[in-house]
Amino acid sequence: MAEIEIRNIGKFFGPVEVLKDVSMTIADGEFVVMLGESGCGKTTTLRAIAGLESVTSGKILIDGEEVQDKKASERDIAFVFQSFSLYPHMTVYENIAFPLRAVRMNASDRQAAVKEVAEILRIEPLLNRKPSALSGGDMQRVAIGRALVRRPKALLMDEPIGALDATLREQMRAEIKRLHISRGSTSVYVTHDQIEAMSLADRIVIMNDGILQQIGAPEEVYLRPANLFVAQFVGSPVMNVTDVALEGGDGGASVMIGGDKQGFHFPGQVVGHLNGAPLSLGIRPEAVLLSHDAAHGAIEVETTNVEPLGSHDIVDVRVGETVLRSRTEAGFVSGEGQKVWVGLDPLQAHFFDRDSGQALRGAN
Amino acid sequence: MAAVRSQREVWTNRAAILAVLVALVVMLAPIYWITSTAFKPRNLATTVPPTVVFEPTIAPFVKLFVKRSQLREPVSEEVYDAAPWWEQMVLDGGEKVVRRGRTGEVRSSGYGKRFTNSLIVSIISTILAVSMGTLTAYGFSRFRVKGEDDLLFFILSTRMLPPVVVAIPMFLMYRTVGLNDTHLGLIILYTAFNLSFSVWIMKGFIDEIPREYEEAALVDGYTRIQAFFKIVLPEAMTGIAATAVFCFITAWNEYAFALIMTNRKAQTAPPFIPSQVGSGLPDWTVIAAGTFLFLLPVAIFTFLLRNHLLRGMSFGAIRK
Repeated sequence: MAEIEIRNIGKFFGPVEVLKDVSMTIADGEFVVMLGESGCGKTTTLRAIAGLESVTSGKILIDGEEVQDKKASERDIAFVFQSFSLYPHMTVYENIAFPLRAVRMNASDRQAAVKEVAEILRIEPLLNRKPSALSGGDMQRVAIGRALVRRPKALLMDEPIGALDATLREQMRAEIKRLHISRGSTSVYVTHDQIEAMSLADRIVIMNDGILQQIGAPEEVYLRPANLFVAQFVGSPVMNVTDVALEGGDGGASVMIGGDKQGFHFPGQVVGHLNGAPLSLGIRPEAVLLSHDAAHGAIEVETTNVEPLGSHDIVDVRVGETVLRSRTEAGFVSGEGQKVWVGLDPLQAHFFDRDSGQALRGAN
Repeated sequence: MAAVRSQREVWTNRAAILAVLVALVVMLAPIYWITSTAFKPRNLATTVPPTVVFEPTIAPFVKLFVKRSQLREPVSEEVYDAAPWWEQMVLDGGEKVVRRGRTGEVRSSGYGKRFTNSLIVSIISTILAVSMGTLTAYGFSRFRVKGEDDLLFFILSTRMLPPVVVAIPMFLMYRTVGLNDTHLGLIILYTAFNLSFSVWIMKGFIDEIPREYEEAALVDGYTRIQAFFKIVLPEAMTGIAATAVFCFITAWNEYAFALIMTNRKAQTAPPFIPSQVGSGLPDWTVIAAGTFLFLLPVAIFTFLLRNHLLRGMSFGAIRK
């Protein structure tokens, strides 16, 4: 197992710059998930680590050794593809043993290694089958087995469960986590599914347009997004983001949304560091609090839409020109056009510089 | 699953079956003719109307492989009885087997040698065309090649000139470098001719093989050339089989170049078979026997590869 360090890598596909000065360090034994929309550069970064893609600039270090000019076969890294890419003309056993043949391991050791991996992945009964006779989940288990059998320095996975159906995906997610815990392999995992990212990752790397947006533990990325992109990318339903005007001073301020004359009162410790630049407020639906009574500091509004989701409802309310989405308990409001009172939880509010999109935080 | 089929459907169905039967008879008629003639006694070969029921004989095949000459007068009974069974068949036809010297071996008609030449030239040129074509196609499929489209068009364009157009200049060039009437000359010619076909067809097949297979092998510690042999080649087997059959058939049946470029040493079967028509009164049974044998290798080769071919013919359409 090994530490992977990426230093300022850049990559062009012809005239298109797909990676812009990306740097990160992945610690030994860490499970890092790269999250982003398709085309954001996450897969390219992963393939660059594996050596399947060259980088235009920058360095990639595995255990302190520069590998950016080395061939994929010399990097001792395993890769799990979204399409599984099991060799169709080989049996499951031969597929898993294939990487061991490359290093010319002798037959008895090879057999033992395959058996061990098959046991961990619970695919022993399948060893003599051809990949075409396997279910999607089993194919993925075999693909992971083939990746792990060699005990590579790191395990790279490119949307490994993206092709499976929802139930199986959940099951395989748990299995990947269990496997990571038991083997402790340095893992880099690419996905566009934030639930996968949140549930698997030690740290999440969020990318957009070839630029690294934020690296952090799942709760950090969720609770303290570095910029507007991260704020709106992570979390479901999406965080409310709206332009706001601020009135007041150190003792607290009134935050006005959507040109509405009435403001929400925010205490000084939350807004004290803001310096008057144009602001956007980000607030998650669970921090938009609805009540049937006139609570202190709340504003009377009308509901415009209700989405019942079983365990909870998503209620849209109009504040001035802006619609805020609120997460309420199921059946809290009966439908649209209902009068309710809305308040915001100042401690869960995020302020962003409207022009740069960067989060503005106080000293705390 | 209509339980009751309308009268119309029944008739359409019958008409279709009839049409297929007619097409089948039309297409198989020449093959039946060749095959039946190959097993007929000479006197039945040219009867009008054709003899359909006859006692099959292998005399035409015996005659095909030995050199014969006309008998001036019938041989004596002792000589006839002393002759082996196959020689008696020739004597029955009013001919005698030509031997070299008094006790020497039987002289060959040359068909066997022509047949062997055909096999040598076709097999070697097919192997060359398919292997070179596969490698070229792999390169075009997997790497960014400058001017790829132009190059591929150029490769295809080598096939656009009909053989008769280039045969004479080719003959002059071959004579200059001493390649006429050699196996090597024909092999080069057929390989070049089939290569463009092979490149194009194989490129289609290799394009269908997901790159990830090789990439998986690359990260698993194999070099690209190892990945090619261990992963791409087995995956491309159906394509290779289909391409090989086509190349083999083209080389095996090629007539124009073989006729012009070869005369004795390296002559293949196609120009040889009709050349027998001209010598004396044609013995159609012998010609039919030669043609019949000539049909076999392609049929056997295709039969052996039939499983690959069936999948190969769909050009990767079935593969997910």
